[in-house]
Amino acid sequence: MNWPLIAVRNILRDGTRVISTLLIIAVGLTALLLGSGFMLSTYDSLQEIGMRTEGHVIIIDDIPEPLLGGSHQQLTLNNWQSIQASLWDDERVLRVLPRARFEGIISKGSRNAVFFGSGVDPHEEFRVHGPFLRTNGVLDPWIATSETQDVVLGVQLARTLNAIKGDLLTLQIAGNSGEISQTPVRLAGTYQSGTPETDNHTLMISLTTTATLLGTDNISQLSIYLNRHQDASAMQASLQENLNNVIVQTWQQRAELYHKVKSLYDRIFGVMGLIILVVVFLAITNTISLAIYQRRKEIATFSALGTKPARIYANFILEALLIGITASMLGMLLAYGTSHAINLSELMMPAPPGKSEGYPIFIYISWSHYLLTSLLLIAIVVSASLLATYNTTKINIATALS
Amino acid sequence: MAARLSLNAISKSYGAGDSRVTALTEITLSLHEGEFFAIQGSSGSGKSTLLNICGLIDHPSNGDLHLNDIAITQLNEQQRCMHRRKSIGFIFQHHQLIPAMTVYENIAYPLLLNNKPSRQVRHEVEQLLTKLNLTHRRKHLPRQLSGGEQQRVGIARALIKRPQLIIADEPSASLDHQHADAGLQLMRELNQTFAASFLIASHDPLVIAHCDRKLTLLDGHMDGHIDSHS
Ligand SMILES: Nc1ncnc2c1ncn2[C@@H]1O[C@H](COP(=O)(O)OP(=O)(O)O)[C@@H](O)[C@H]1O
Ligand SMILES: [Mg+2]
Repeated sequence: MNWPLIAVRNILRDGTRVISTLLIIAVGLTALLLGSGFMLSTYDSLQEIGMRTEGHVIIIDDIPEPLLGGSHQQLTLNNWQSIQASLWDDERVLRVLPRARFEGIISKGSRNAVFFGSGVDPHEEFRVHGPFLRTNGVLDPWIATSETQDVVLGVQLARTLNAIKGDLLTLQIAGNSGEISQTPVRLAGTYQSGTPETDNHTLMISLTTTATLLGTDNISQLSIYLNRHQDASAMQASLQENLNNVIVQTWQQRAELYHKVKSLYDRIFGVMGLIILVVVFLAITNTISLAIYQRRKEIATFSALGTKPARIYANFILEALLIGITASMLGMLLAYGTSHAINLSELMMPAPPGKSEGYPIFIYISWSHYLLTSLLLIAIVVSASLLATYNTTKINIATALS
Repeated sequence: MAARLSLNAISKSYGAGDSRVTALTEITLSLHEGEFFAIQGSSGSGKSTLLNICGLIDHPSNGDLHLNDIAITQLNEQQRCMHRRKSIGFIFQHHQLIPAMTVYENIAYPLLLNNKPSRQVRHEVEQLLTKLNLTHRRKHLPRQLSGGEQQRVGIARALIKRPQLIIADEPSASLDHQHADAGLQLMRELNQTFAASFLIASHDPLVIAHCDRKLTLLDGHMDGHIDSHS
């Protein structure tokens, strides 16, 4: 007996009902794929922000954190130059960027503001942030060209000070021994990250300037950027083993925003996905139960002729599989088309927690993800079908036939 | 002659309490090998109920049933299913063809179910299609057939595996005279060649005239004795 052909005939026989079932599954699948595709791309860009901000592997001094903070400048990592030099030979390494964190007050005329500053490598710093730190008016390379040192401000900090490019500003910094030094600096440009803390309160100057101002060439952290982020863990482990008196971390250990947003989105999309699955299950269970109940005479006839229940189940599973597979293809196609349309249209999302800017919606298209989600829905169709077949085969044959 | 089927005080009631309906009361009869047995009675007298019990698709409320000396009431559903597959052919009142199977597939199905080789299946189905004048309908689905054609396919499906017992519920109801005759002819042939036993519910005098013995049901009771034709 050509059971697949018979299954196809049965499906075609019940046209309108099959179409409504197909649509329910296809639309459900599309919703799941769009939601999860969006979620995956959000996670990815947050990971990207985390990696670009901190570096893939981070080396800090192993002084316990509680000793830091207060008004002390956090410059504890010494002999970093030798670590940096040794890393240049490593093929996995793209860049090694020193960062010296310090804090103080910046003023222009009567306006002033507290800042969190970083002494950075002016040649390299703005090459690692990509689209997540957009500069405005900053020369590349950005180096002090005159006696006066250049400073780059977070865009909101510049606005607070009412400063524009070329303005002279004053930094007030407490040195390591506590004395306050005042230094004139010139505004070389601004940067914008979309994260309020960064844009409102931070600035960057050249690391050599920091060393002069603070009287030390210690830094806070050495950020290592790799060619492939997958190498981060291995790199972290080997560095931790080979270096003394330092703590080596991967970007994940420092990506607070990523973890916060991920756990929030995991819950939101988890609940949403579950709701979609339940709605699809209820909707198709209803239709499928009715369809199979209406075929009770056919089921009873099969039984009367001496067909084993397993054969009857197999027939209905086959039909469910065919419907499920067709609907999945439809849903995948729909999701694929919609994703492309959304990605091209550059619709904006509202700002996630911890950000002040929205970002363009981007929806991932991952075939393995498409396949897994489809399998889940096909499994739901098959279970709904099995349940309905079970209930219908329980009807007495003679009753069903009368 | 040995008993193909024997019923001993078979009763059947539906429902419980106030809504209890007694469809059959203490039916006792035996059907011999190669016998043509008619069951008569007005609508609602219990003919279908009795046939369903004899065909192992319904359970009696009381009484014993033996098929080829096997106590059917002791069997589980799986065993009853195997007996239906091997030994029983049904001609249903409403045809009950499988809607998604062609005429050919509907008729071939019982043979395939019994694992007959496909060459034999093809040969036998074609033979039967010819006899019942259905050859041109071979590839049609049941809904493309007239009521009479559907019934003939139903008859072919019941007879093809040459079962020992054939249960026929008003088999000639939707057949015109000529086709009813062809159907009966086939049944007779099977009956005489393979000693198949027939249990037929019918009002049709043509059918009843073919039968060896008959039983009349009246509100689920046996009305008088079982008559034999001489
Ligand atoms: N599933 C059922 N539930 C309740 N009563 C039934 C059922 N099937 C048959 N009956 C009743 O049993 C009696 C006999 O019915 P049936 O065997 O179909 O008669 P016939 O085939 O002679 O017309 C009728 O009164 C009918 O209403
Ligand atoms: Mg009846």
